[in-house]
Amino acid sequence: MSQPVPIIELHHISKQFPGVLALNDVSMSFLPGEIHAVLGENGAGKSTLMNILAGDLQPDKGEILLDGKPITLASPAVSQHAGIRVVYQELALCMNLSVAENIMLTNAANQTALSLARRGRMQETARAALGRLGMDHINPKTKVGKLSVAQQQLVEIARAISQQVRVLILDEPNSALTNEETTHLFEVIEQLKSKGVTIIYVSHRLEEVLQIADRISVMRDGRYISTMVNDEGVTLDKIINQMVGHAVDHFRRRTSEAAPSQEIALEVEQVASLPALKATSFRVAKGEIIGFAGLPDSGKDELVSAIFGLTPRSGHIRVQGKTIKSGSPTDAIQNGMALIPADRRGSGAFLTMSVENNTVAASLERISRLSFLRSDQIRQTSAQYVQQFDTRISSHQQKLRTLSGGNQQKVVLARGLATQPAILILHEPTRGIDVGAKSEIYSIMQDLAAQAVTIVIVSSELPELIGQCDRILVMFQGEINGEFSGSEATEEAILACAMGQTLPNRTKAVTL
Amino acid sequence: MQASNSRSTPALQTGWRLRNLFAAREAGVFIALILMCVFLALTSDAFLSTRNLLNVGRQVSLIGIMAVGMTFVLISGEVDLSVGSTYALSGLVTGMLLVQQWTMIPAIVVGLLIGVGIGMINGVLSTYGKLPSFITTLGMLSIVRGAALLITDGQPVTVNIRQGVLPDVLEQFEFIGQGYLFGQIPMQLVFFIIVAILGGIVLSLTTFGFRVYAVGGGQKAARVSGIRVFSVKVWAFMIMGTFAALAGILSMAFLPSGQAGRTGLGLELDVIAATIVGGASLSGGEGTIPGTILGVLIIGVLRNGLVLLGISPFAQELIIGLVIIIAVAIDKWTANRRAS
Repeated sequence: MSQPVPIIELHHISKQFPGVLALNDVSMSFLPGEIHAVLGENGAGKSTLMNILAGDLQPDKGEILLDGKPITLASPAVSQHAGIRVVYQELALCMNLSVAENIMLTNAANQTALSLARRGRMQETARAALGRLGMDHINPKTKVGKLSVAQQQLVEIARAISQQVRVLILDEPNSALTNEETTHLFEVIEQLKSKGVTIIYVSHRLEEVLQIADRISVMRDGRYISTMVNDEGVTLDKIINQMVGHAVDHFRRRTSEAAPSQEIALEVEQVASLPALKATSFRVAKGEIIGFAGLPDSGKDELVSAIFGLTPRSGHIRVQGKTIKSGSPTDAIQNGMALIPADRRGSGAFLTMSVENNTVAASLERISRLSFLRSDQIRQTSAQYVQQFDTRISSHQQKLRTLSGGNQQKVVLARGLATQPAILILHEPTRGIDVGAKSEIYSIMQDLAAQAVTIVIVSSELPELIGQCDRILVMFQGEINGEFSGSEATEEAILACAMGQTLPNRTKAVTL
Repeated sequence: MQASNSRSTPALQTGWRLRNLFAAREAGVFIALILMCVFLALTSDAFLSTRNLLNVGRQVSLIGIMAVGMTFVLISGEVDLSVGSTYALSGLVTGMLLVQQWTMIPAIVVGLLIGVGIGMINGVLSTYGKLPSFITTLGMLSIVRGAALLITDGQPVTVNIRQGVLPDVLEQFEFIGQGYLFGQIPMQLVFFIIVAILGGIVLSLTTFGFRVYAVGGGQKAARVSGIRVFSVKVWAFMIMGTFAALAGILSMAFLPSGQAGRTGLGLELDVIAATIVGGASLSGGEGTIPGTILGVLIIGVLRNGLVLLGISPFAQELIIGLVIIIAVAIDKWTANRRAS
């Protein structure tokens, strides 16, 4: 096979951060018109590499070639001028501007200060870009802040492709997208590819990568490991093997022998938080793992907030027979609940605080005497969970901001468990974290259930729910629309139910 | 880490460890302070004298007391612009009560309660009332100043026997403002030291202090952790109000007079500046009491030095402004380098 001239070549790129060699002599090349997936666990160096291509970071060593000529990507503007566009995992939109204004923002930035914004043409360009993503139903005049997270992510992609683009970097583009939206996204990617655009695709969803990528490169611990042409020879196991450096078993699954007890641990009765969540009732047994599936607007996210007292609610919630006053997260915690939130960086972690302080933040009574903190207790609690979860930290004083997503999630999980909850609610527990950490978190969950902790998982990842839960309740338009046992559930059946299909054998127990 | 194996009290373990004092954020300020002192010691004979140093200590005390309170408010992610007015109103009310032949303690308690009340209003409006604290306290700055003008009718309040203050009460009151402990340490400085130690202990060693950092470091995460965010912030404002009132009362005792149109005018800016120079962040979650003390001292020593060197008072204001910007700029730039 004759090799075309790569559009981008990286030669011996290294990047040192305080305490970490983020990139260690990485060489890679990207061909015109290919979909090139870059995989690796969190902390493997993918994001650093993408930031270098985006012009946000400068490498300490090494050389970047564009069309065979050396180039210094000194700033994002230089990088954009070269036709490199990045869609980040973290949204970078102006919430108070309209969809059209957001899409045209970068163009506007390149005009002189006194250029008049030509609204008519702006709407048109925006509409065209949205159309290509199959999002004709979104009005370009809508404020971005009013869209769902998934829609916002698509707007960000629309912005990237509304301009001249030669290399499109997608960093976890679909962590918040539904399957339908993902399908659209893939169509767009194929379309761009046929026009000769190079797509660099960073993702944790390996199945999708296998489906779409032409070539797959793997990184590990800041080093380049290998590049594979995606043909029949490439399997999930093979990729995972490259990523973690050794073969891993598939994720630990819920076993059918782990039958939960008959004792009811959590009773949710007619809980509603209108308009998104209508009266919802269900019961969970002690030691049971129950899952909630549903599309982004199904009300499953609101259910989490309502149960934990983050939003006002009506109805009753009983934990181990004791009614919780509808009210605050403080009440929820005092009555034995703990929440691992979906938005890890926003409402999960205290990014500016240390590992040990994050760990004890929800259980201050336990680590204090007469309101005075006991540093030995703080350190001990932190050390216990760091050891139990195999969290990678350099010191207990390390700021959480500097940890990888998977390790941050372990610390947030430790914070929840330090309150010694009877009910653990996990909201998108593995969003944006790598395979290794994901596997470890599943393992922790199963161990907890075995120790009679009741677990509620609310997730958009169906394989996660099917693999981990005893039962799965499916939400649709603010209500529970069906119930599956873990063994009978299939992705197809859950999805159909999540899209509104009623089940003939709808379980009576659900409606109470 | 060094202390984690020792059997000492928690206070010694987490609080005033040398490591904390010289933590990266404060180290720069500390070095700057030392350099300034060395420079002044070499250029001015008067600077190093005990009398001058204690004088500097007295001059920074009132701003220092308020800066301790401001540290709580800033770490919790809020700001209080009304402290100069609280300072004026509390001092004036205490003074007026003394003139009406009250004894000292009740008059001071009423003054302090005014500060607590103003803090509570600031806090409640900025949390449950959903208003930004910048707006709430900007409004209170004006409201409290207006209240002070109304109750004094704009007239000066002077605490002396001619106005009707009881002689022995006057003596006590003047002692807390003008007196010296052991004949040498100004009482204002004594109050500052007590407030700083109390504030430092509460902030770095108690669950309340932990919560203040948590609320400022991540409000949503604090909520999910079961921390009552609003309540923590209201308490921070009440602490601020109390210390602003205390400083105002001490000022009344020192001078011993005040006027609603002038007392403590613009003081909020000096207080915020000292706190920020000491490493507290306007966006919350960061700051320490030792840092704030360094910030207060830097500005105090600078003012003192400029006077000793005979620099015009007009140029002094300019130089202090520059120092505030430079101090924070150096901190930001080095912080960015540390983070990237």
